[in-house]
Amino acid sequence: MKRLQLQRWSSTALSPRVRTNNRLHQQLYSTGLRLQSTVSPLQSESAISENVEDASFQNPDAMRHIRRAHKRKTQLQYPSPPVEAATQSAKLAALHARLYLPSRLPLQTLARTLVDASADSNVDFNNESLATLGHDLLANYTSEHLICTYPRLPLSVTFAAMYAYVGPKTLAAISKEWGIDNATVPGGEVDPGFLQFQRVAPGTAVEDISQLKSARPYADQKNWRMTVSSKIFYDDEFGDAIKGSVALGQGVTDETARATFVRAVLGAIYLHAGRPAAKRFFEQHILSRHLNISELFNFSQPARDLARLCARENFEAPVAKIVSETGRKSRSPVFVVGIFSGQDKLGEGSGSSLMEARERAALSALKGWYLYTPINPRVPSSMEEEGAAPWKPAHIDLGELLPTEDG
Amino acid sequence: MPDIVKPLSHVPYGKKFGLDTSSCGRCIGQPVIFDFRAIATMAASITMPKRPFLTLPFLLPSLTESLSIGAVRHQSSYRRTKQRLRVKPDASFGPSQQGRDQIIYNPPSSAPSVYHTPSKFLPANDVRRVMRPAAAATATADVNELPSVYKTQPERKYHLTPEDVEEIRKLRLNDPMTWSRYSLAKKFECSPLFIAKVCGASPEKKAIQKQVLEAVQSRWGPKRRMAREDRKLRREAWGRDE
Amino acid sequence: MFPGSFPVGVRKPCKWVNLKNTSITTMPVKAIKTISSARNGVGAFILQCKRLDFHYCNFGGSSRGMLSFLTKDLAAFAREHPQIEIRVSPRPAKHPVIKGHYINGHEKAICVRNLEPSEIMKKTNILKEANGEKLKRTKKPVTSLNESVRGIWSPYHGDLRGV
Repeated sequence: MKRLQLQRWSSTALSPRVRTNNRLHQQLYSTGLRLQSTVSPLQSESAISENVEDASFQNPDAMRHIRRAHKRKTQLQYPSPPVEAATQSAKLAALHARLYLPSRLPLQTLARTLVDASADSNVDFNNESLATLGHDLLANYTSEHLICTYPRLPLSVTFAAMYAYVGPKTLAAISKEWGIDNATVPGGEVDPGFLQFQRVAPGTAVEDISQLKSARPYADQKNWRMTVSSKIFYDDEFGDAIKGSVALGQGVTDETARATFVRAVLGAIYLHAGRPAAKRFFEQHILSRHLNISELFNFSQPARDLARLCARENFEAPVAKIVSETGRKSRSPVFVVGIFSGQDKLGEGSGSSLMEARERAALSALKGWYLYTPINPRVPSSMEEEGAAPWKPAHIDLGELLPTEDG
Repeated sequence: MPDIVKPLSHVPYGKKFGLDTSSCGRCIGQPVIFDFRAIATMAASITMPKRPFLTLPFLLPSLTESLSIGAVRHQSSYRRTKQRLRVKPDASFGPSQQGRDQIIYNPPSSAPSVYHTPSKFLPANDVRRVMRPAAAATATADVNELPSVYKTQPERKYHLTPEDVEEIRKLRLNDPMTWSRYSLAKKFECSPLFIAKVCGASPEKKAIQKQVLEAVQSRWGPKRRMAREDRKLRREAWGRDE
Repeated sequence: MFPGSFPVGVRKPCKWVNLKNTSITTMPVKAIKTISSARNGVGAFILQCKRLDFHYCNFGGSSRGMLSFLTKDLAAFAREHPQIEIRVSPRPAKHPVIKGHYINGHEKAICVRNLEPSEIMKKTNILKEANGEKLKRTKKPVTSLNESVRGIWSPYHGDLRGV
């Protein structure tokens, strides 16, 4: 791994023959800057070829620079950086070390994860295949974690939690927290440490980018009711309609490109370093993020739902009782209401009216039901580890309260 | 020298600092004393910064006793002040009565967390079910004595027959203006909710009702409209537990 | 909402009443879409300093320490910290400067004129350890997104005592 290009700078700097106001040196210095930026260096290269006669050919540094300039010219014909450029990029090596990626994952593959399909349509050089693998891994690991940890979580909340953990917005945020910068325009001469994608043209409506290709029958019937459970079959892992692939040359949004990159990194780790490394990477970067699942619920009629739940589970009917109160006749009263089923307290809530306190109490009781976690939940993929304990089936019960035609 | 203490010594503390001890509910007794101390300390530091620490009123043996400089003189020592400020630990932290080891459980003074699944909701094979008998025992004591949220519990009769329901449907469909939900509920001695469950209003009646509502709402001023909208938003916030 | 009665759903079921076409279906619970928030260091730790720029002058006397640092110490520093991209570039007729670029987009610069290589190493470490935010005083020993184990204190719970 070559992280520094110290030699070049220090030799030019320390050589007494190099005059700082030499025209050539100025040109080279400016191209040196352009190498780091993403602007096409075409113009400056033509300037160099004009100035070659002025330069002293005895200067090995100048010769090296000229050779590099020629090499860049050949690079320009490719839509994405050539494979050998990966070992030369300090940015890429720093990214590799920053993420503590396994050493078996080569820099060339990491460079490939940074090339979006919109930048380079050749499937051998873009990250599409890696992203497909990474996407499936992410969806699998997250869903098994959620389902085994919270076996009673309603499906709509599971979808929202999936979205919160591995949705495109989150993945884009992760890539920003990894310190990934976008290349202004993709190209062969760009530093492979930049994320390269073709931006969508400004003013394009987001719906136009990808064609909606739902497998759902009668998808065009807007008035028809879509059940949540049908989303498992027809829609993606977040319960949203599956979007078709982006048309060629149309470009992608920043969020999509970044999300694809993060997925591709996980896919690359899986390919090069194997399953345990991919799982560890997922746990460290995705699962360690903070998400309070109890804040994802939005109830419309918690009291009614709780009563239905108790009827289904053969508990005594829930009764609301005032646990404590203060300032009943004042401007700012507080009531604390508990919901009891028989002698057991199911939930408790406080509010400035009895109705509010009762609703909140019913809501907390419902959350208590939905957020049940078995002791030491295990996920199926934990069986892939060496010397794993025998598998015990995950907890399954009736779980979610299904919508009924009940007023 | 004596007039330094004057402003505080002649006024009962509760009244001076606007403390209304009578308004406290039956459950929040303890914080009252605490507040009183805090307010008294704060006020003392604001009004008389130079006043010596030993004249702080809460250090006195009794609050009712009138303050004078003579009464506080014998307390003029740092050690005694510290001694009075020292709060003894709760009795439950002391050595146990039975003379054997025990687990001290002081319930946190906070609303219960939703991640703490109630014992009733735990599945039958969950170990936590048997590990929590003590907490359940404390809860069982007075559930029946707690007051209900409602003043009266409606009596459930279950007296309506299928013929009655047919009658309700017919009446509501044919003459919706006379037979509203409430009038039907009165006639058949059931709740308006039951009427709504049994049959919906006809589309014509719904349209009329919508027009009536719009007419009423058109007369609302900005204040009332905003207040109603806020009420709706607050209501939606309950469901998100905000 | 429902006047009079709380346990609405437990009303004795009337099997002979067809309730199908009388009311609308309502979802018991809807979900709120949000995104999870990062906790750097809880799982993986990402060093917040992503790039260090070293600027020096060949001629100026104030760069003498910097030149010595670049030739002797920088390679070892870079080997120890592979996650930082390092750039060295001349800035003629100016004082030597170290510039740190951070993941949050901010940058910090320290002028190292007339400093010894050991002092420059200290300044480099300062930039390496910074997170790019403005320096601010932390008053609490712990900052966390997690809820407190004991919950938020409420006057209506706990060991209640009457007046």
